[in-house]
Amino acid sequence: MPVHTPGPSVAKSYVGVAPEAAAAACRRWYQAYGEPLYNYLRFHVASPDIAEDLTAEVFLRALRKFDRFDPSAGSPRPWLFRIAHNALRDHQRQAKRRPTLSLGSMRDLRCEAPSPEERLLWEEEVAGVLAAVAELPPKDREIIGLCYGSELPISEAGEILGLRDSAARTRLWRALARLRKLLAHE
Amino acid sequence: MSEIPAELQELDRTMRAIRFSPRSSLGAELLGRVRRGEQPGPSGRPLLRPLMLVLTAVAAAAAIMLIVPSQGITVDRCCYDLDGGGDADDGVLVIARRNGPVRRLSIYEDQDRSGHLTPDDIIRFTRYGHRKTVDWNPPGLTTITHCCQDLDGGGPADDGVVVVGTPPDHVAQAAIYEVR
Repeated sequence: MPVHTPGPSVAKSYVGVAPEAAAAACRRWYQAYGEPLYNYLRFHVASPDIAEDLTAEVFLRALRKFDRFDPSAGSPRPWLFRIAHNALRDHQRQAKRRPTLSLGSMRDLRCEAPSPEERLLWEEEVAGVLAAVAELPPKDREIIGLCYGSELPISEAGEILGLRDSAARTRLWRALARLRKLLAHE
Repeated sequence: MSEIPAELQELDRTMRAIRFSPRSSLGAELLGRVRRGEQPGPSGRPLLRPLMLVLTAVAAAAAIMLIVPSQGITVDRCCYDLDGGGDADDGVLVIARRNGPVRRLSIYEDQDRSGHLTPDDIIRFTRYGHRKTVDWNPPGLTTITHCCQDLDGGGPADDGVVVVGTPPDHVAQAAIYEVR
């Protein structure tokens, strides 16, 4: 495999970022937030492939806006989740215009179950939960995706959604209550 | 999330147990894409973006059409013999909407020879937007016309000024007109 040497085109690609700095930031951010971001997205899309594409898209968008991120303002996590939120919204708009059939694979589901049978049961349960989440209103899906998918603290999820802590908490409880109702009717 | 209602606690536990893992190569693939300088896909509403551009352009054009004509412009032209005094020492001051109605028209004598209206000059005549009627008819009235220049800020030099008065320094009536 030939060794890739970043050329001038790379330097021009990300605003105000040297190619190596971009790669270093990407590596660091992916290690810290790649999986929570993936899980957040995965709670909203039926296919692991789409979630992976969107995760990559989030980091590419973040690097394009690298110069707008102020490290002194703290962790990039809320910023990255806001980018993810927008990328997901764009994807959902496109999916409405060009509906595709999702295979709904669970190949990416983590499972500690010792037997294949238990794994199958867990997959079925998760598929049922995610199908019910997909039926919830967008605001409910959003808070559930942020709090459970990404495992963000509720205060940070609220910050991303522009909600106060108490409002975010109320929204989450209501969303969970609606989800519980949907699951009970299955 | 400690104060979660009791009836939701089981669902909360289930939700917390749901974890996914992206393919293990995703991070390395992403780094490769970053090193190649790959750009993210188009964002926003692709169909709406051109529409928004068109709407913005139309709104801007409409704003220009609405705002620019309503801006008052001042035209100060000097020096001609408009009062029949014999010397080219008279000026015309026009305050108008650009290429539109005249709000004020003044004929002045450029006393200080500055080439424009100053506090030292004598204003011989002023009329505002409305028509000014003359209720007297002094003997020796003369009409002096000067054409053509841009007096209303419209651009082309197609405006003239007509002054009716009694020389050497009395102006009874004045108007500006556009040559068609």
